[in-house]
Amino acid sequence: MNFKTVFIVFRKEMLEMLRDKRTIFTTFILPLILYPLLFVGFGSIMSRQEQVLEERGAQIALVDSVQTEVSQSIIESIGENKGFELIPYTKEAKTLLDEGELQAIVSITDSTNTSGLSVYKVRVSFDSSKERNLLVYNKIKDSVNQSKESNIASYLETKAIDPGIMELIQVEQVDTASSQKIVGSFLGMFLPYLMIMMLVAGAAMVAGDLVAGEKERHTLETLLVSSAGRNELVIGKYLTVITVAMVNVVVNLFSMSFSMQYLLGSAAELGDFTSIPIWGFLILLAAMIPLATFFAALLLSLSTFSRNIKEAGSYQQPVMIISMLLGMISFLPSVEINTLLSLVPVVNIALLFRAVLTNEFQWLHVFLTIGSTLILDVIAIWATIKLFNTESVLFRTEDDTSLKNVRKEKRNLFNSFNGTVIYAILLALLYYLGQYLQKGDLLNGLIQTQVLIILLPPLLILRIFKLKPREVCRIKAPKLKEVALVPYIAISASVIVILIMQVINMLFPFPEKYLEQMSSMFEMTDNIWIQLAVIALLPGICEEVLFRGFLIRFYEGYGKKAAVIISALLFAAFHLDPFRLLPTFLLGLLLGYLTLRSGGILNSMLSHFLNNAFALVISTFATSAWLEYIIKDSDTIQWWLIFPAAIIFVVSIVLFHKVTSTKGEEQWESSDT
Amino acid sequence: MIEVLELEKEFPKKDGTRFKAVDRVSFEAQDGEIVCLLGVNGAGKTTTMRLLSTVFKPTYGTAKIQGYDIVTQPAKVRENLGFLSGDTGLYNRLRVHEFITYFGRLNQVPDAQIKSRMDEMAELLDMKDFIDRKIEFLSSGMKQKVSIVRSIIHDPPVMIFDEPTSGLDILTARNIISFIRDCKEKGKCVLFSTHIMREAERLADRIVLIHRGQVLATGTLEEMRAETNQVDLDDIFVHYVNKSNTEEELQAHEF
Repeated sequence: MNFKTVFIVFRKEMLEMLRDKRTIFTTFILPLILYPLLFVGFGSIMSRQEQVLEERGAQIALVDSVQTEVSQSIIESIGENKGFELIPYTKEAKTLLDEGELQAIVSITDSTNTSGLSVYKVRVSFDSSKERNLLVYNKIKDSVNQSKESNIASYLETKAIDPGIMELIQVEQVDTASSQKIVGSFLGMFLPYLMIMMLVAGAAMVAGDLVAGEKERHTLETLLVSSAGRNELVIGKYLTVITVAMVNVVVNLFSMSFSMQYLLGSAAELGDFTSIPIWGFLILLAAMIPLATFFAALLLSLSTFSRNIKEAGSYQQPVMIISMLLGMISFLPSVEINTLLSLVPVVNIALLFRAVLTNEFQWLHVFLTIGSTLILDVIAIWATIKLFNTESVLFRTEDDTSLKNVRKEKRNLFNSFNGTVIYAILLALLYYLGQYLQKGDLLNGLIQTQVLIILLPPLLILRIFKLKPREVCRIKAPKLKEVALVPYIAISASVIVILIMQVINMLFPFPEKYLEQMSSMFEMTDNIWIQLAVIALLPGICEEVLFRGFLIRFYEGYGKKAAVIISALLFAAFHLDPFRLLPTFLLGLLLGYLTLRSGGILNSMLSHFLNNAFALVISTFATSAWLEYIIKDSDTIQWWLIFPAAIIFVVSIVLFHKVTSTKGEEQWESSDT
Repeated sequence: MIEVLELEKEFPKKDGTRFKAVDRVSFEAQDGEIVCLLGVNGAGKTTTMRLLSTVFKPTYGTAKIQGYDIVTQPAKVRENLGFLSGDTGLYNRLRVHEFITYFGRLNQVPDAQIKSRMDEMAELLDMKDFIDRKIEFLSSGMKQKVSIVRSIIHDPPVMIFDEPTSGLDILTARNIISFIRDCKEKGKCVLFSTHIMREAERLADRIVLIHRGQVLATGTLEEMRAETNQVDLDDIFVHYVNKSNTEEELQAHEF
């Protein structure tokens, strides 16, 4: 690669960016005027709001059922608050309180305690959902406390005890956190999120223009015909995206910190906060660079794939939303960076940020974060260069994807776009309708989910397109040899999957609630046969029809292996369960393989059934004596089982592969190991 | 010079079948010669041009530009190639001289040479007035001149023009035509594609008739006239197309 050419491309792209008024406005001018306006405006509104609350005072209804000197002093003390108007309690007080006409109802009652003293109880009813009422309540509380102390003091005096006794024990608050830590933990909450957002926004702004824009303006071909290499063009453009993204972050940060200092300086509540450490910003910016490179590469590959800027924009949207959600993890105070989380893109940077800001970071995490981000980065750049060499991508033309056209041609139904749309709709259905169905009766809910959401839609779609389910879903009698092998495959695979679950549990312990949910599934009825039907038989049929029968068809255009992998991914995600993502994915690979290899779905149905049945048996009879050889502590299965399971699995898969190999059919090796 | 050897390009169609846009095309073009690729829209002209400019990879066969193979030495091929098409876009936010310098540099031309060449071409094409202007403010004729200079800034021995006059007004088209003639006079090897018979008649030393991805006939205009007993290129073209259609029918009947 010629770095001089890379630099030539970079310089030209930067020049073009700087000439674009839109980019200049959003990168430089907007942040410079937006934040001051936002913060200053927000600040003045906030202080005004507080003033208004003070001035507006409050209406408080009073019930004094005691009518003694003490209760009088409490009422007086409340009444001393500026703007407080005390009115006698009436029947309408409750409704007035609900309507917000009243801010609080104070009732004073008394009782006699065991030592014969009168005890006063002041009950303050208020609607805490309104900020103003909360303020009023705090003032009432302070007043009551004041009068409590003065009453106790005078009581002590009458008993000839020094009121100084009241100060016998004092609590003193000493905050050992350095001011850097306080500032850091506060900033650590929202800065990572904001910086990630600015980074993506900045990168997205130019990435779409750089390749999809060139397609749209018919300049790409000229560029490709020049003697510059594809990788030189890609890297030059890539550096441009990184630069603009980083500039966007720097400008936004600068403007934001400047206006924040102004805001907090005027509010003067956090004191030390105004001294935001400059070095911290520099470290953060440095930490931002790997993420910037990752986003740049990712967005550039999307831009290369798109036909025009508009399409690039719509592909960028999910990236922005996902990174926004991942970046929000910095708002969760309990999540801290660890070795595993430092391998999760975006999340790692967000958490590392917070750790750096509070000065509590380990270099291991820094290296892991930067290292893993850079690896993803290299993959994304490689993909972009690859796309740049794919002529069908560079010269994509408009497709007619209107529904009418899809219906007209049956052959066109089974393309990956339609498959993904159908899957997305079903996933949404499962999430909303499935949750609703399973809310009441879990047993019925599961049955309805399987039949209505999983089995029915593919059958309906086939019906609409007048396709035969038997043909599409490959429902045909399997060979005896195959059926004989499937139990060995299914059970050994189940053992392996359960062991994988146990490893996951060790790394990320399952939450208590999750375990309860899982076991509630196995305990919804005492009848083991009904359980078997609902947990094993029904999914074995319905889920197989949907995933291995129907959805896999949409991806077979990419080749059998790709179809198996994609359908397994969809299958795994469909369980809406992050802990079971890997096990269900592996299971999906196996089931997809079984179907496509043997050309019939019944093998994978049987395998799915056996797998679920095995899990049911293990959990139901975990404490039974006859299972003690394989189960220890009544909930985990023995680790040594991995050896026989792996051996049986490999042997039975190899046999299955042999049994199903026929002349004429194309050979392909097992895609799951 | 350009040597095209059994070039073939297949595209997958949406319904899963494949379609041959270019079907075993062979021809050659010598230095100092203008060869015209003549055919109706969709005949495979642009695909052939894109194969020669290494933007597409052939599914079969190859071609050589100045002896460099388009499959194995694409970088060398691009260095020796100037490419101009009718719908080429420009970078609107750059000034004319910046734009030309950019492509000169991308093609590894030293800055001094870019400067002198640009001045020379600006003089020739009467571009001095707008050489410092931003491209977005230029008329389409001016833009075409900028494209011309861009395509020749690295002084390539082979020039490829893909429908260079499509969408241009008469005056601008004339500029292109005279530029193509200039290229020939300088001893360059010129290949241009068009669907306009008049253009082929006026410019081409030799004509390659292409229809449905296949070459129907190759030769000078005189040779074609002699073979078909027609004078007008329109009639010659129709003659060859009809001939290939009847041949196809005959073949179909034989089976």
